[in-house]
Amino acid sequence: VTVRSIRFRLTAWYAGLLTVVIVALGALLFFHIKSYLEGTLLETQARRARQISDTLVANAGKTGEAYVAREVAALYDPEKSDRFIRITSRDGRLVYLSGVPFSQAFDPAAVPAAPPSPLAEFTRKQPIANGPALLIAAVRAGASGSAYLVEVGTSAAPVESMFHHLLLLLGLGLPVVAILAASGGYILIRRTLRPVDEIAGKAEQITQHNLGERLPVLATGDELESLSIALNRMITRLDDAFLNSKRFVADASHELRTPLTILRGELESMVQEDGVPAQHRERIGGLLEEVERLSMIVERLFALSRLDAGEAQSEWVLFDLAELVSTTAGQMTLLAEDRRIAVTCDIGSPVMVRGDRSRLKQVVVNLLDNAIKYTPEGGAVNLRVFASQGLAVLEVIDTGVGIPKEDLPRIFHRFFRVNQTRSQYPEGAGLGLAIVESICYANRGEVEVESAPGKGSCFRVKLPLAA
Amino acid sequence: VKALLRRGPVSQGGTVRVADLEIDRLTQQVRRGGRRIELTPKEYGLLEYLASQPGRVLSRTMIVEHVWDESFEGLTNIVDVYVRHLREKVDAPHPVKLIHTVRGVGYSLSEEPAL
Repeated sequence: VTVRSIRFRLTAWYAGLLTVVIVALGALLFFHIKSYLEGTLLETQARRARQISDTLVANAGKTGEAYVAREVAALYDPEKSDRFIRITSRDGRLVYLSGVPFSQAFDPAAVPAAPPSPLAEFTRKQPIANGPALLIAAVRAGASGSAYLVEVGTSAAPVESMFHHLLLLLGLGLPVVAILAASGGYILIRRTLRPVDEIAGKAEQITQHNLGERLPVLATGDELESLSIALNRMITRLDDAFLNSKRFVADASHELRTPLTILRGELESMVQEDGVPAQHRERIGGLLEEVERLSMIVERLFALSRLDAGEAQSEWVLFDLAELVSTTAGQMTLLAEDRRIAVTCDIGSPVMVRGDRSRLKQVVVNLLDNAIKYTPEGGAVNLRVFASQGLAVLEVIDTGVGIPKEDLPRIFHRFFRVNQTRSQYPEGAGLGLAIVESICYANRGEVEVESAPGKGSCFRVKLPLAA
Repeated sequence: VKALLRRGPVSQGGTVRVADLEIDRLTQQVRRGGRRIELTPKEYGLLEYLASQPGRVLSRTMIVEHVWDESFEGLTNIVDVYVRHLREKVDAPHPVKLIHTVRGVGYSLSEEPAL
């Protein structure tokens, strides 16, 4: 899983957002419940304090403080019910203080005095060393309403234990929920994005040679369907543009053939006429050479356009590629010898392929011609034909000038020529390798090249091996 | 037209003569000034084709189609090499040159100097 993939990022976002929402919701719930429970508890304490204040402390003047203390202890039994009750007079004299509760949760004697407050009734949360806090409600009572302060308190232990419980629940539940959400989200996103992988895979396969093919359209009705439809329309437009340009080349090269033939015929008869001065003959010869070059370009373009249109496949026969290569090499050996280049063939058993024999011979001629042309005198050209993994392989290896790395991807493009060779070998047009590639494609094969500038090149043709 | 051209020389069989060059079509032997000249089969084919239509300028494409019986771009360059080899054997030792180059067109074989 790549960190930058949509799949990963969406899943991370889902899980992250869910965690944040759950934590926020939990915290909100927490503090709300906590304050509600504490409020309820304090309210109960305040009611009790008012009760004590109204029924007992209010009459302290008549009954005496000792009676009040006795009655509180008897009626409310604070030790048994874990309650804290303290009655103090305004001058700080203790009237009543409950004993240590049975649960030993707090020591009433250690509870500090209530902080000064102008209110008749107030509450506070009193922290206790080594234990839960005390929730204490205080009510002023007695003569003129403020002679005594009645404090009633209870331990916040139930609230805090619930609090811990909730925290534990959330702490354990959150990772589980987050993992569930992440994996569920991941599966869902993967299912949603599967068409994207399919579209990408198919798009990779579509090149200028199979522009007729289209991307898969899944009738999901979602954005991906409209995306693949839009991409397919784009491929259709590309296809049209390619077809137009091919048709133009086909028409143009076809239209140029006839005038060129006439031109050449006229010039040829002129040059052979009697009485033409040698000087003119030389100039017409120069023109003829240019016409020949022009014809060659037009013929090559015409051949390419016929290959593009799939019309060039004139035969489909079973033949021995090794034999074809050695015969062709034999025919061209003299060309190599002329430049003191050794042509060697590593050819073993027959390598049978099915295809257009004469077109494939053109491939061998072009590759060998290039190898000889671009190898300095005294160099070597090696031809290899062998079968490997269901493929018939032809390698043309030279010790020539090589091809710069940046030019390799364009070496099979029409009219492309390596700058250096353009000036050194002006007679080429940059169409020979384009023809090689087109013929290889037409024969269900391919051609590739490796090269090291200054050391040499290796052109490798791969064709399906005939079973 | 090509078919007609391929049909070859008018003088079927026997010996073809151009100046002091003799080509025996049956034994495929070539002599010049009575001296025997050893040629490879392709060199012989080229010379015979040129001699079959003396004085006529034959293009490299025509030569490849006739002598090699196939036409490929790139193969036409071979003609130049073969012509040069043929010149070394046939013309070099003699003051009168028989094989002529017509720039932009091709080659011809004749007693007369180049056009």
